[in-house]
Amino acid sequence: MSALAHYLEEEGVPSVAISLIRLHSEKIGPPRALWVPFELGRPLGAPKDEQFQIRVITRALRLLECASGPAVLEDFPEDDPTAVNLPGWRPPFDFTAGSIDIGEREVLEHALRQEALAVAPFHERFVAANRRTTIGLSGLSIDDCARLLAACLAGSFPANPDPSTNPVQALRWAVDDLKAYYLEAMSRDSAIPSSRQMQNWFWDKTLAARAIIALRWQLLASDDKRSQAIGRMNLIPGAQVQRLGLQ
Amino acid sequence: MARMTDFPQATQTSMANLECPRFETTPCVSGPPLGQRRVALVTSAGLISRGERPFTSGDVDYRVLPADTPANQILMSHVSVNFDRTAFQRDINVVFPLDRLRTMEEAGTIGSLAAAHYSFMGATDPRGMEANARAVAGRLKSDRVDAVLLTPV
Repeated sequence: MSALAHYLEEEGVPSVAISLIRLHSEKIGPPRALWVPFELGRPLGAPKDEQFQIRVITRALRLLECASGPAVLEDFPEDDPTAVNLPGWRPPFDFTAGSIDIGEREVLEHALRQEALAVAPFHERFVAANRRTTIGLSGLSIDDCARLLAACLAGSFPANPDPSTNPVQALRWAVDDLKAYYLEAMSRDSAIPSSRQMQNWFWDKTLAARAIIALRWQLLASDDKRSQAIGRMNLIPGAQVQRLGLQ
Repeated sequence: MARMTDFPQATQTSMANLECPRFETTPCVSGPPLGQRRVALVTSAGLISRGERPFTSGDVDYRVLPADTPANQILMSHVSVNFDRTAFQRDINVVFPLDRLRTMEEAGTIGSLAAAHYSFMGATDPRGMEANARAVAGRLKSDRVDAVLLTPV
């Protein structure tokens, strides 16, 4: 972001960057930046808090009127109130990953599809409440994402719906859609738990997560460098890899 | 939460060692008061319109997101899994705050909202994006934009 600010400004377009990693903004020195003490992925801080978000935007845009530039780097003084754990939070559905043998393709496929089916009412409620979903990168239904994951774990890459795309990349997008499906469905009324609570629950409790972890090991053992890279970097958050001892 | 000390040690090390581009000068373009400015968003969140090709590793191009794109038509295709997506899933404004800028436009805090907004994908050496960033600047100037809010993830 900070480098883009340089390029835009050199072309005559005034800019202000929100900074999530202060050190990088210090090094690159964009014309104007507002560092915010928020979790990566949340440049405006608190979801569904309009007034909080407007305070962040206003503070940032006001730097455009600052006469003390160039290279202004200011700190936003508030923390994200939604970054803390909600005591006693549980998702609206509850199940454990069980002890099925995920090496058996048919067993896994059936169990994955059943688990996804059990989540469906809660995801439908999320979509109705938010009038949107972020699912859609793979172009597949959730049921087909589950089938694809099971097939790949069994060593079989089904026909790629988009021949112009690397099949491992397409698999990664199906995994992204599956994760989004579960995480979106975890909303319960207006209570928004911390991202850590949601992530820990997903990676500890679902069969989908067990399957994704198995897929990661499979890709890491592949001879294909792209598969290795996607397995290493693009399936499981690093914090979860560390927490679950998957290094 | 995004203080360096909150990250795992390995992440802290990689962030501290990340090679950042250096710039000889820091241009600083002035403009009218905020209430008279036309504002655009440029994000590095890897946003795309539903149906567009997702970003993949190393991509340095950009997507155009017209201001009237419905929120349900915007997806995030960033390659990194090491940032929170749950907030974006619940509220697009936490990354791409068009609704908030509309509210600020109605209140007169900003002058107007640009007709189009832009998305790159971070986790890529930004020097590779220079030509595209300058092309976006040209589009912004054609739209009379004189304030850009840059949002990372």
